[in-house]
Amino acid sequence: MWTLIVPMVVVWLFALLASNVSPAAAIDLSYALATLIVVVAMWSFIGNSGVLSFGHLAFVAVGAWTMSLLTISPLVKSSVMPELAPFLAEASADPVIALIIAAAVGGVTALISGFALMRLHGLEAGIATFALLMLVVQVLTYWSAIGPKSGQSMTGIPRSFDLQSTLLIALIVIVLAWSYGQSRSARLLRASRENSQAAPASGISITRHRIIAFTVSGALAGVGGAMWAQTNRVIQASQFGLDFTFTTIAMLIVGGMLSLWGAVVGTLLISALNHVLGVLENGVQIGGVIVSLPSGSRLVVVAALMVLIIILRPSGITGGREARWPFRPRDPFLTGVVATPRAATT
Amino acid sequence: MIPVIQSLIDATSAGAVYALAALGIGLVFGVLRLANFANGEIITGAAYALLLLWPVSWPLALAASVVVAVALSLLMDLAVFRWMRSQSPAALLIASFGVSILLQRFYEGIFGARVLSGSVAPALTRSVNVGGLRLSLLAIVAIVLAAILLLAVHLFLTRSRMGLQVQAASADFRVARILGIRSGAVIAVTLGMSGILAAAVAFILTAQSGAVDPTFGVQATVFGLIGAVIGGLNRIGGALVGGFAVGFALSLFTSWLPSGFNDFRVAFVYLLVIVVLLIVPNGIFGGRTAKERT
Repeated sequence: MWTLIVPMVVVWLFALLASNVSPAAAIDLSYALATLIVVVAMWSFIGNSGVLSFGHLAFVAVGAWTMSLLTISPLVKSSVMPELAPFLAEASADPVIALIIAAAVGGVTALISGFALMRLHGLEAGIATFALLMLVVQVLTYWSAIGPKSGQSMTGIPRSFDLQSTLLIALIVIVLAWSYGQSRSARLLRASRENSQAAPASGISITRHRIIAFTVSGALAGVGGAMWAQTNRVIQASQFGLDFTFTTIAMLIVGGMLSLWGAVVGTLLISALNHVLGVLENGVQIGGVIVSLPSGSRLVVVAALMVLIIILRPSGITGGREARWPFRPRDPFLTGVVATPRAATT
Repeated sequence: MIPVIQSLIDATSAGAVYALAALGIGLVFGVLRLANFANGEIITGAAYALLLLWPVSWPLALAASVVVAVALSLLMDLAVFRWMRSQSPAALLIASFGVSILLQRFYEGIFGARVLSGSVAPALTRSVNVGGLRLSLLAIVAIVLAAILLLAVHLFLTRSRMGLQVQAASADFRVARILGIRSGAVIAVTLGMSGILAAAVAFILTAQSGAVDPTFGVQATVFGLIGAVIGGLNRIGGALVGGFAVGFALSLFTSWLPSGFNDFRVAFVYLLVIVVLLIVPNGIFGGRTAKERT
C-alpha cells in the first residue's frame, strides 16, 4: 500500500505548498497536475511493458479535443468552427461526463491502434507510435469537420475544474494507474519486460497484455488531455508535437520510468524546476540588479538534466523502484538484483 | 504522360534527399546502435555555414559546411554518446532527442529564432524545358549528388580496408573488436561520413529554400529516421531504400492526391509507415529473426 500512499501524499503536499507560494505558482501547479496525469498515463504503458511509446500525445490530443468539443458552448462552436460535423456542433455535456467520455475516446483510440502497433518492439515500436502521433496531429490539424480550420486554435474552452478538483482528479488517476499496476495483467506484462523469451514460454501472451496496458494508458492520457485543455483554455493540434512529447518523456526518464513513484517524482521535480526557471526568465531582483535568464532556457535545462540522468543514472532518480515506507529494513531481494540498467532501458 | 514523368522526376529528387539523410542515420545506427535524432541539428549547422558564408565565397562555404557537420557529429559523440555506449537503442534515441533540443536552443541563442534567408547556389534555381518537361537544375543536381555520394559510400564500404572494418563493426561490434578492428577509428570514420552526408542534405535543402531557422533539419531527419526504420535498421542498404521510399511517397502524394485530401499528404505518409511496419516489423530488408526481441 505504501507504493500508493507515498506518491499520493507527496503530490498532495506539493500541491498544498505550490498553491500557497504565489498566484503564478498556483497557475503553474494546475499545468503540473495536468502534465502529471499525462506522465502517469505514459508510465502505465511504458513502465509496465518496457516498450517505448512516442505516441501517447496522440491520446492526449484526442482527449483534449473531446473535452473541448463537449464543453464549449454551441454558440461559440458555430462561430469558431463553422464546418463542424452537425452532431459535434450540437453535442454538449457536463464537465465530469465530458471527462469520462474523453477517457473513453482516448482508450478506444489506443485500443484500435494497439491492435496494429503492439506487435512491434524496441525502436520500431518507438517509430510506429511516433507515426501514430503525427497521423493524429495531421488529422486534427486539417479535418475541419472535427475542429477548427487548418491549424487554427480552438478557443472558448470554459474552466470547469478549479485547482482542488484538478488535484482530486490527478490523485484519482494515480490510484487508477496504481491499481492497474497491481493487476494480474500488469504483473504478467512486467514479467515479459524482464525477460521477453521466458514470458511467452510460460504461456504469457505479450501482445495481449500490451494491448490492455496501451488501452488503459490511452484512457488515462485522454483524461490528461482533457485536463490540459481546460487548464490552457486554448488548444491547437500543433501543441501536441515533439516538444510536449519530449518534455513528458524527459519527466518519466528523469524520475525513473519503471516505477509509478518515478513518474510522480520526475514530473513534480521538472515542473518545479520549470516554474523556478520561468520566474528567473521574467527577471529577479538580486541586490539591486535584475537578473534574468534568456527565454527558452527552461527547455535547455530540462534537456541537459535528462541527458545527464541518462548518462549517470540510467534508471532515473528513483532507480526504478517504488516508494516504500522509509522506516523498514531493505528487502534483500530488492537491492542489487532488480533494475539493472539494461532492463531499465529496453 | 508528361505530368506523370514530371512528378516521377520530382519524386526522385525528393527521395534522393531523404535517402541521403537516412543513409547518414543508418550508418551511425549500424555501428553505434544510435538512432541519432540530433542529425537534424548537424544538418542545420551545416546549413547556417552555407547560408552565411556563401556571399563571401562559395568554395569556402561548401568547405565550412562539411567541416561544421563533421565536427558537430564528432563532438556530439565525444560529449554525450560515448558515455552511454552500453545502453539500449531506445535510451540512445531519447538522449539524442535531448541533444537535438539543446542544439536548437543554442542556434536560437546565436542566430535568433527567426528565419535567416539568403541564397545558396542561385544558379541552380533555373529550370530548363525539355519537350514540355520542366527540369529544375536543382532536382538534377540533387539526384546526381545523391548518386555520387551513395556510390562513394558503397565503394568505401566494400573496397577499402577501413570500410570493411566499418561493415564488420556494423554486423557485430563486439566480435569485430575482438577480431582486431580499431574501434575508435571506425566510430570516428562513421560519424565523419554521416557528417558529410548531412552537409550534402543541407546543401540541397538550402539551395531549395534559401532560408534556415533553428529547426531547419528536423523534418529531413524525422523522415530520414523513419525511412531508416522502415527500410530495416540492421542493413545499411535498407536505410537508403527506406529513406528514398519516404521522400518518393511524400512527393507523389503531394502531386497526386485530390485537392480535398492534399492537406493530409503527410498523414498518408505516416499511415504508410505504420502499414509497412505491420507487414514487416523489422523493416523491409530487416530479415525475419535477425533482431532480438526487446
